[in-house]
Parts: sequence; structure tokens; C-alpha cells
Amino acid sequence: MNPHEKIVSDFIDQLNKEKKPKEDEYTTDSDELKELFQTVKLVKSLKEPAMPGEDFPVKLVKAVEEQVSRKQTVKTRKWAWMASIVGIAAMFALMINILFTPGSSNIVKAMEEAYQMINAYHGTIEIVETNEDGESVTQAKLEVWANKDGNYYIKGIQGPNKDYITVNNGEKKWQLQPDKKQVQIFPTFPDNYSFIFDLGNEVNDVKNALSVKEIGEEKIVGRKTTVLEVTPKGGSSYHLWIDQETKLPLKKQSAMQHAIQYTVTYTKIDFSNSIPNELLSYQVPRDYAVIDNNPEQVVNNLEEVQKTAGFTPTSPKTIPDGYIQERIAVLPEQKIVKMFYSTKDRSKKVMIVQGKSTGKFKPVPNATLGKINKHPVEIQAPFYEEAGLLGGGIPYSGTTKINSLRWQQDGLEYVVVGQASLEDLTVFVENVVDGQLEMPSQNEQSSFKPKVEVPYDLSVEENDQKNADAGSSPWKLDPLFTTQVFVSLKMSPEGITGEYPVSIEDLKLIQNTGKTAVVEVTGDQSPIKRVYLKRLIRQDATGIWTVVGYDPME
Amino acid sequence: MPDRKKDGKKESIEEICYGTWKSIYQYIYYKVQNREEAEDITQETYVKAISYLQNGSVNPDKYIGFLKTVALNVMRDLWRKKKRRGPVVDIDTYIPKENAVEDHSENSTDRLMIEHALTQLNEEQRTVIELRILKGFSVAETAGLMNKKEGTIRVIQHRALKNLANILKSNNLMGGTTDEST
Repeated sequence: MNPHEKIVSDFIDQLNKEKKPKEDEYTTDSDELKELFQTVKLVKSLKEPAMPGEDFPVKLVKAVEEQVSRKQTVKTRKWAWMASIVGIAAMFALMINILFTPGSSNIVKAMEEAYQMINAYHGTIEIVETNEDGESVTQAKLEVWANKDGNYYIKGIQGPNKDYITVNNGEKKWQLQPDKKQVQIFPTFPDNYSFIFDLGNEVNDVKNALSVKEIGEEKIVGRKTTVLEVTPKGGSSYHLWIDQETKLPLKKQSAMQHAIQYTVTYTKIDFSNSIPNELLSYQVPRDYAVIDNNPEQVVNNLEEVQKTAGFTPTSPKTIPDGYIQERIAVLPEQKIVKMFYSTKDRSKKVMIVQGKSTGKFKPVPNATLGKINKHPVEIQAPFYEEAGLLGGGIPYSGTTKINSLRWQQDGLEYVVVGQASLEDLTVFVENVVDGQLEMPSQNEQSSFKPKVEVPYDLSVEENDQKNADAGSSPWKLDPLFTTQVFVSLKMSPEGITGEYPVSIEDLKLIQNTGKTAVVEVTGDQSPIKRVYLKRLIRQDATGIWTVVGYDPME
Repeated sequence: MPDRKKDGKKESIEEICYGTWKSIYQYIYYKVQNREEAEDITQETYVKAISYLQNGSVNPDKYIGFLKTVALNVMRDLWRKKKRRGPVVDIDTYIPKENAVEDHSENSTDRLMIEHALTQLNEEQRTVIELRILKGFSVAETAGLMNKKEGTIRVIQHRALKNLANILKSNNLMGGTTDEST
């Protein structure tokens, strides 16, 4: 074994214990270790700092006082004025909260109606980051053009993407990177990079929020606004400033999370009929290289697909009312075919992806499971993680408005993914492979009957959920890992040391409705045959799983 | 604490510490990445800086900047002692009012670059780094979660860090350790 492997591992262990490492980049004579130690620290810096105990400030003051006690110093008080300002600000905030009573359904409706009236908009967005001490830094400024078809043009004016231009015109998505003199091409759909503070998304989020409260009025960038406190389902509340004239959002402030708060403001916004054509047309400047890692080749008919992809994909026999086929594209290297459909107003988009199955079907653990023609179907509503033909395995941050269904049948893997309702996607699925999609809630609730019930304490679970929200115990978000820990502890009640006695490969998710899950254990040693889990606190991708029962091995 | 009002000096030290310690501690923690050292260095920083803050050499709105400068010098002294070379820097040679330090603990561009570097690892390497460093799992726990042997986790971890070091070096995020201004 390379001795550095152990040294670095011990270094990580010390930092994880929040202890001073025995050796660090300043004491080692090895250049390699120096770099590895620095790298570990840089990666760890992504985490929130471990703060000292509550008594630390008291200890600090005492230690400093002891050191300076012999010195005679004259001092003047400079801080009282700050305390009074803070006091006045707090009182003012309290008054605003008291003066404005809740009552927000009208404004939500007005926002929806106002958004329906506009076709496109052009504005400047400013993104400001504020830390726990109230210190603010402007992170970026962007020029944005967007329309209701989901097309956009974004230019960085200030910040890490200064001068970068990102465009999605519905058929192509690209980014001009002037410093590298290159144009990077991305898949148009699903598009995980939309821009922050899209008006349509904001209006939709307010409409779907758990609660919306008017908490005050304020003048920003010269406009009178109503301030809303929006509490989304399963998330922290945030504030939204609504222009009283246009009824559309002008500013958004996130909750303070991990000691950072973001404020996004439209410092300028105009409405228009469309995005100028020249901004949406794809042109490669002279001397620029084109970087396309997954070049899609548009084909005209199924014969061309056969030639390029090596197989004939299945077309849906019928498609839902209102949809039209847009185009067919092939990824020649991966032999993957994509068929694109959309409604005429392009508010709904669906893509059917087909390719040869390359391995055993493995749904992402947090997907619900349905069935078609006896094959398991991975259902993500909303779409959270890319797997299989969509590749990557990249979790999408936050909630997307995209749903997806994926399954394997007759040597092919299929994905139907779309910015459309699950009902529309089901019609596509059932018409591609001629079958009936069985949704989990219809056929699996009756089989959720554990022989042995496992008691739980809801207050403990609530606490565990909060910990998981803060990034601790991520395994609780995964039904398979939760099962692995439960079964392992049943096998080794004294605790797990070294490898888990039951392997993750021995666990098979046989049912997942999003609210309940059943995992089958196939290992020889396991005393348990099936484990039953529930999402007790929150029933979405951020909810923790709790074991509520099991069937012993017979 | 009834005697505080009578003792102006005590109150001032307390107010200075209470009003600033969090920022200073976080700044130091960013460099050392462990609580034990961060607490020690924070204390040392205030001991060195407090007389300057009390005699009016530093404008109150520059306290944090000044304390960060002192903290950096305390850390440099420590690093030099560890290296057993170079002179110990005398705090009196610094001009308190003019000092400003580059604070990477609040630099989101660095964060983005580190996050981006992580995405360039293969899935296995990225998982090991996330579980070991970001989630704080032990080698044994990581091995259990990934269904691999502990030795294998250490090998993957080592390779992942070497790859990351190369990516971070190419982004100028890593430098030498003799003059730790970043």
C-alpha cells in the first residue's frame, strides 16, 4: 500500500473530528502530501465551519482580559450607537409585521393574470450574497431576455460568467465563452440550467406555495412594491417583492441558509412581444472552436434513424391531443434516438429517448416504481436524477417542472421525459410499447403489511429530518441505505464495525410509491426477508425514510 | 455581572469580542479546517490585537479587517515555527488602518471552482470524496455504504485527491505554503 494513502486518510479523520492534524502541509516534507492536504482542506471548505461551543465567547473574553489586565488603557465606547440603530430597525420590522394583515389570494391571481398578458421580457438581474453578519457582496449581474416558450438569452455583465452568453432557442442551446474562444453546445432538453429568477417560474412557485402572506410595502428601484412571504411545500420561506403596477416579481430574497442569503433583483425590466431574432440565432464567431460532447444529428425519417443508430425505434401509435412531432435526432456514437414533441404554444414539451439496454435495469432509489407489460418503470415526478440513457446521474438542484418515466423492454431502454403532466406522459408511454401503465398507488398499497411492526418516535424522526435538511445522515434519504443500516444492526446489534454484514447488492427495491417503500433482502445471512419503510415527515425527494416494519426470513 | 458597568475596560473587551468573534473564527477556520486549531488561533489573535483596538488605532468599522490581518499573521508565525525558518513577524510593523486581507472564506467563485472540480472526477471518486470529506463518514462507513473494502476506499480517495489537486492547481486555487496570503 502506498503510505501516503494512510497518511491522507488519517489527516481527513482528524479534520472530521475537528482536531488538529498530527501532520499538515506545513510540517510535511513531501510535496505530494502538501498538495493533498491542501486539497482536502479546500474540499472541506465547501462545508459550513464547525462552530465552537456556546461558552466560547465567554472563554475568549476571559483569556484576553487576563492577558491585558496589567496594562492601563483608556478607552472610549464606540459601539452604543450601533446597538441603538439595531434596536430601531428591529422595532420597525416588528411594526411592519403587525400592521399588514394576511390576505393574499388576490395578489396571486393578479400575478397569474399579469404573466399571461406578457410574451417576452428583457431585464437586468443583480444577485447579491449576504453573510450572517449582514455583509453583502454583489455576486453577478446578468442581462436577460426570456419568453414564455422557455427560450432565453443571458449575458453575464459582472461576476464569474462575465461576457459569457448562454442561449436556448428551443432547438439548440449554446454558450459563447469569449475568454476561451469557444462555443459550448448543450442538450436543449431537459435543460437543467435555466436562469435564476425566471418570472414564469416565480409566478408558478407562488401559485403552488403552501402559504403566501403579504407582509408590507416597500419602494425598490423606484417602484412601489408589495412584499410577500412565500412558504413553499417542504422548504424555507422566502420574500418576494411584487411591482404594484405590473403585478410581477421584482426582487426575491432567500432565507438565510448555511449562513448565506441571496437577494436577486430586476434592477431594470421591460416587456415586449418577442426576443429579437438575432439574439436567438446560432452563429459561431470567427476563430471560435465548437465544443459538442454529445452531438445530436437531426434526421428526417425512420429510415435515416435505422442507418445512423442501427435500429428502428418505435413511434407512438397516437399522441395526446394538442401535441405535434417536432423533430427526430440521433446521438450517433451512443446509438440513441430522441423524438421531440410539443404543443403548438410550446408550453409543453416531451422527449422520447430509445437506445439498446446496456445492463440490468436499476431504477434510481428515490423514484416511485410502476409497471408496464410486467416490466418495472422508474417514475420521477418531478424529475430529480438523470440515470440510464439520460446519463450522468446528476441530481437536479431544487424541484424541476419535468417528469420522467424510464423502463426496459425487449432489449431496449426507453425514457419518456417532459415538461408535461404525468397523464400526458402516460399516453406517450402506453402508445410507444402498447401496454397499460400501472401506477404504484393502484396496485401496491395492499401489499404493505409487515409481519413485525417497528415502533418509532415521531419527534425523533422530525429531528432526523431537520438534520438531513442540514446535510447530516444523507443515507436516510435513500430507502436502500436505510434498509442496509437497519438489517445490519439487526445482524450485529452491538454495532457495525468494518463492512456492513449485508451488501447493498443484496437489497432490491420492489415497491416505492413515494410515501411507502418495500425492500427485499436476498443475502444468505440475513434474518430479514422484507423491510417496510415510510416517509413519515415529508413525502418528496427531500424526505427521510423510516423503517416501520419487516418480515422475518421463514 | 454587576461589576461590568463600573469597569469600562472589561466591557469594551467583551463588546469587541462579542461583536466580531464569529467572522474572525470563520476566517481562521477556513484556513485550518478544524475547530481545535481555529479556537486556539482566534484566542491568540485577540490577545495580540486588543490593545490596538482599544487605543483607537483602528476605526470601529475596520475592526474585522484588522483582526483578519492579525489572524493571518498569527497563522503565518505558526506556520513559520512549524517550518523552523523565517523570522517571526512583528505585529507593530503593520499599519492597522491600511490593512485589508483577501478573504477567501467568503469567495463564492472559489466555491464554484472547487465544486466544478469535483464534477470532473469520475462518479466513484466523487462519491468517496463526498462521503469522506463533505459528509464526514469514516473509511469503514464509506466502505460499507459503497460496498467496497476499506483499502479500496483509501486507494480511490488518494487517486481522487491527486486528480483534484491537479485540477485546482490549474485553476490557481493552490499555491505554496511559505507565504499563506491565500
